[in-house]
Amino acid sequence: MKLKKYLASIGTVAVSMALSSNIAFAACATDGLPASMDGPDGYPERALTMIVPYGPAGGSGQVAQAMAQAVSDHTGISINRDHKPGGSGTVGMTAFMATPADGYTVLEHIDDASSAHALDSSRPNPATDLIPLVTSQITFSQIYIRAKEDRFTDWPSFVEWVKAQGGKATIANVSKEGSMERVMMKFITDATGMEIQQISFDKGAPRYGALAGGQVDALFEQPGDVRKFLDAGTFKPILTMLKEAPAAFADVPSLTDAGLDFDPLFRFRGFYVHKDAPADRVEWLQWAFQKAYCEDSYQKYNESKFMTLIESFRDTAGSQELITNTISQYRDVYKQMGLEVK
Amino acid sequence: MGNLRTGHIVEAALWLGLCLFLYIYSFQFEKEIEIYKFGASAWPRAILLLIAVAAVGQLLYNWKKGDGGATSMIAQAHDDSSKGSDHNSLKWYLWTFFLLALPFIYMNLPEAIAGMMSLEKPGLHSAKLIVAGIVVLVYILTMRGNYVGGILALPILFGAFLQDFGFYAMAPIFILGVMYLFGERRYKRMVVIGLGLYALLMIFFVSLLYVGLPTGNIGWFYDFGTTMVNILQ
Amino acid sequence: METFNNFLGGAVTLFSDPLGIVIFFGGVIGGMLFGAIPGVSMLTLAAILLPFTAHLSPEHGIMLFSVIYCTGVYGGAITAILFNIPGSPENAPTAFDGYPMTKNGQAGKAVGAAVMCSAIGGTVSAVIMMIATAPIANWAISAFGPPEIFALVFFGLAVASSVGAKTFWKGWLSILIGLLIAVIGLDPVGGIPRWDFNMPYLLAGIHFIPTILGFFAVTEIFVQAENRAKGSYQAPKLSVDFPSFAELIAHKFAVLRSIVIGFFCGILPGIGATLASFMGYNEAVRWSKDKSEFGKGKLEGVISSETANNAATGAAMIPLLALGLPGGALTAMMVGVFQMHDMEPGPLVFLNSADLVWVVFAAMFFANISILFVGYLETKTIINLLRIPFQFLAPMILCLATVGAYAVRGLTIDVIVMFVAGAIGFFLRRSGYSVAGIVLGLILGRIGEQTFAQAMQMLHFEWSGFAGRPIAAALLVAGFLTLLGSIYGAFFKKQV
Repeated sequence: MKLKKYLASIGTVAVSMALSSNIAFAACATDGLPASMDGPDGYPERALTMIVPYGPAGGSGQVAQAMAQAVSDHTGISINRDHKPGGSGTVGMTAFMATPADGYTVLEHIDDASSAHALDSSRPNPATDLIPLVTSQITFSQIYIRAKEDRFTDWPSFVEWVKAQGGKATIANVSKEGSMERVMMKFITDATGMEIQQISFDKGAPRYGALAGGQVDALFEQPGDVRKFLDAGTFKPILTMLKEAPAAFADVPSLTDAGLDFDPLFRFRGFYVHKDAPADRVEWLQWAFQKAYCEDSYQKYNESKFMTLIESFRDTAGSQELITNTISQYRDVYKQMGLEVK
Repeated sequence: MGNLRTGHIVEAALWLGLCLFLYIYSFQFEKEIEIYKFGASAWPRAILLLIAVAAVGQLLYNWKKGDGGATSMIAQAHDDSSKGSDHNSLKWYLWTFFLLALPFIYMNLPEAIAGMMSLEKPGLHSAKLIVAGIVVLVYILTMRGNYVGGILALPILFGAFLQDFGFYAMAPIFILGVMYLFGERRYKRMVVIGLGLYALLMIFFVSLLYVGLPTGNIGWFYDFGTTMVNILQ
Repeated sequence: METFNNFLGGAVTLFSDPLGIVIFFGGVIGGMLFGAIPGVSMLTLAAILLPFTAHLSPEHGIMLFSVIYCTGVYGGAITAILFNIPGSPENAPTAFDGYPMTKNGQAGKAVGAAVMCSAIGGTVSAVIMMIATAPIANWAISAFGPPEIFALVFFGLAVASSVGAKTFWKGWLSILIGLLIAVIGLDPVGGIPRWDFNMPYLLAGIHFIPTILGFFAVTEIFVQAENRAKGSYQAPKLSVDFPSFAELIAHKFAVLRSIVIGFFCGILPGIGATLASFMGYNEAVRWSKDKSEFGKGKLEGVISSETANNAATGAAMIPLLALGLPGGALTAMMVGVFQMHDMEPGPLVFLNSADLVWVVFAAMFFANISILFVGYLETKTIINLLRIPFQFLAPMILCLATVGAYAVRGLTIDVIVMFVAGAIGFFLRRSGYSVAGIVLGLILGRIGEQTFAQAMQMLHFEWSGFAGRPIAAALLVAGFLTLLGSIYGAFFKKQV
C-alpha cells in the first residue's frame, strides 16, 4: 500500500520533470538577451578564473562546473575553476576579496555568505560588496525518513512518535550554528512543540549513510542532494518546506498542509564579481552568465538536481533583492535566537 | 634521582606554557552550542589537560632515568640527537628563530600598517612591497654565516610571498636560493639548471595538467603570473 | 561462481575498450610516478585529475582513481625507502626500516620487497574485496555508526602511541599535539572558530597532506642541509639487487599476518591504510624474537608495512562502495568522482551500476598485478634519482612539494603550513618525539572529535550508552587494554 503510494509519487516526479523540462526549453528566463555580445576593448583576452569556496564534489563544485561549461560553450571563453574549500566558505571569500578587481576573477557562493554577513557585518555583503551576476539555483529543504521505516510513515505520525520519545529521537543535520539548516529546524521544533536531538554531520555522504543505516531517525536535506536515494526508493520525504507543495512532491505535505506557520529559508547558489570591476566588463559578464543559465546543458543539470521545481533564476537586481531580504530575515531570527549579531 | 638537566625543565615548561596560553585563548570560543552540551571548548581542553599530564610524566621520567632507557628501539635508531651538532648553541637558536620570524612579520605588518593609516587596496599593496623588500634585505644580511637557519626560513618566506607575488615570479628566485644555500657556487650551472627546472615544472603542471598555481595579486607580479598562464595554457 | 563471472565480465569490459586500456595504464604509471617522485604523492595527482574526470565516463573516472590508489600506495614506498620521504602516511612505517636499508646499500632489496609485497597484499585484498563487499555492505551500514567509529579511532591511537617515539610519554605527547593541531579551524559541531588568532585562512584548519609533506619531505631536506654544513653528508649507495624468492618465502608468515591486519584495518572507514601499515609494522616488531634489529634496516619491517598497506586498498573500497564512507583522502576524492557524474557511492551503486563496480574491481586486480612488472622496470629508473647531486634535487623536491601542497585546496596557507611543519620537524627530530604520531593524531583528530560529538548526541550524553553497543564497547575495551599494556611495558618491564 505504502509502496504503491510511493511509486505513484515517483511517477509524479517523472511526469512533472518531463513537463517542466518542456517548459524550460520552450521559454527560459534569459531568452530575450542577445545571442552574442562583444566585450569592451578586446576583453576578455584570456581565460577567466572562478573561485569556488567549496570542494569540487559538492553542490557548489558541481554547479560551478555546469555554469563554467555553459559560459564557455556559448562565449568560447574558458573558465578555470579554483577550489578553495574551508571555513564554511569564508576562506574562499577572503581569497577572492584579495584578487584584483579587473573582471577576470568571478566567485561562486551560496546563501551561507548572506547568513555569515547577517551574523557578522564585517563579512562582505554579497549584495553590496559584490555584484551578483546571476543566481542560478534556488531550492527548498525537506525532511526524509527511510522508505522502509515502520515506526512512523508520514509527517503527523512522525511528530507523534518524536513527542513520545521525550527528546530521544534524532535527526541528521548540518552542524554549523546559525546555518540555514539549523535555523529551519528551530522553526519546525518551535512550531510543532516537538523535541528532537540533532546530530551534527558536516559532510553529505556520512549524513546520508546515517539515515540509510538507521543510526538516526530522520534527515534534513535539499531534494537535489539526495535525488539518488529518492529515485532508488531508499529515502522518502515527509515534509516539504514550502508554503505550497510543488507538483513533483504533490503527495508530501507542505508547511501549510502541516499547519506550520513560518517563512521558509532557501538554499541558493550564484555567481559574483568585484564591485570595483570596470562597469563595461561587468555588463559583459552579466550577459555571459545570465545567458548561460538558459543553455540546454545547464538547464538539464538544474533539472537533474530538482532545481526547476521553483523558479531558480534571478538576475542582478533580483539577486540583490533576494540577498537583502535573506540577510534581514536571518538578522531577525538570530536576534530571536539570542545569537550575538555583530 | 637528580638526572634532570636544564633542557628537561625547559621542555616541560614549554609544554605547560603552551597549554596555559592555549587554555586562555580557548575562552574565546567557549560558547554554548544549543545541540551539543559539551560545546566547542571541551574537547580541546581535554587534550590540553592530557598534554599537561604527559609533560609532567615526561619530566618525572627524566628526573628518575635521565635521557636513557628509551622504550622503543625504532626511536633509538632514528634518534639524531646523539650525533652532536654545532647548530646547537643558544646563539644559533636565537638567530635562527629571528630568521624564522621574518615571514610572519611580512604576513602581519602590512595589514597592521594599512589598518593604522586606513589605507585602501593600492596603499596596502605599496605597504606590502616595501615590507617585502625590507624583509628580503634583512634575510640576506642575516642568513650569511647561518646557512642552516637560512634554509629553514627561506621556504617559509617563499610560502608567505606566494599569495601576493605568485608562484610564477617567485619560483625561479626560490630555486636559485635553495641551490645557493646548499653550497652551490657555480653560477652558470645554477642558472641553466634552475631555469631548466622551472621550465620543466611549468610545462608539466601548467601546460599539461592545467594546475592553477597562485598568480599573485599585486601589480606587476599579477600581470607576470597571468601572462605566464596565458602563454602556457 | 557468480563472482568469477562478474569479474570476467568486468575484465572484458575493461580491456575491450581502447580508451579504457589507455586510462588503465595511464593510471598505473601515473600512480607509481607520482607516488615515487619525492614531494608529490598520488593525492597530488588525484587532486589535479579530479576536474578532468568530468570529461570521462563514470566507469573510466572511478577506474582511473582506483588504479592510482593501488599503484600510488606502492609508489609512496619507493620514496620512503630511498629518501625517508613517505609518499603518503600509509608508507611512513616503510621508512622505518627501508631508509636504513638504503643507507646500508640495500636500497634495491628494500624496493624489490616493496614491489613484491605490495603486489601480493593488493591482489589478495582485491580478491577478498570482490567476494566480500556486497555482504559486508549490508551488515556494516547498520552496525557501524559514529560510536563505533569513535571507538575505532581511540583503539587506533592507543595502538599507534607506542610507535616511533623515545618514551611512552613522548609517544603520547606526539599524538596529542597532532590532536591539538586538528582543533584549529571551525569546530565540527557548531562551526565555531577555534585558535584562528584572527587569521581568516586558518579557519580552513590545518590539512594533513601539507603537514605530512612538511614533516617528511621538507624536514629530510633540512637535515641534509645541516649534514652538508657539517660536512657529514654521504651520498646514498646504489644497488639494484632484488630479494630472492627464498628470502620472501622465509617471511611468508609476516606477509600473511600483514594481509590479515591490513584487510581488517582497511575495511574500517576513516582510518584505513595508515593504521594498517602502522599495525602491520608494530605486530612484526612484537612477534619478533630479536626486536633490536628493527629500525636498523630489517627486511621484515618493509615487508610487513608494505603488505599491510596494499592489503588495505581493496578493503578500503568496501566501506566506500558499500556505505559511501571514504577511508582516506584518496577514497574521499573518489566520492568526488562519483558525484561529478551525479552518482552517490553507497549501497545503491551495487543495484544501479553493478557493471561499473565490476570494471573497477577488475581494474584494481590487474593494477596490483601490474605493480610487479611495471614496478620492476620503474624501480631501475627511479633509483637513479639518487644520482642527482643533492643541491639540484633539493629545489626540485621543494618546488614539487609546493605544488603538491597547494593543489589539494588551492590555499597558499597550506604551503606555509608545510614549510613550517618542515622546520618544526627539523627540531623535533633532535628530541625523541614521533612525527608519525603527530601526523596520525592530526588525521584522526578531527574524525575522532566529530564522531565523539555525534556519538554523545546519539547516546543522549550518557557514557553508559557505549555499553549498549557491543562493537563500540569491545573496541573501547581493546583500546584501554592496549593502553594498559603499553603503560605496563613502559614502567614495569625491563627494557630489551
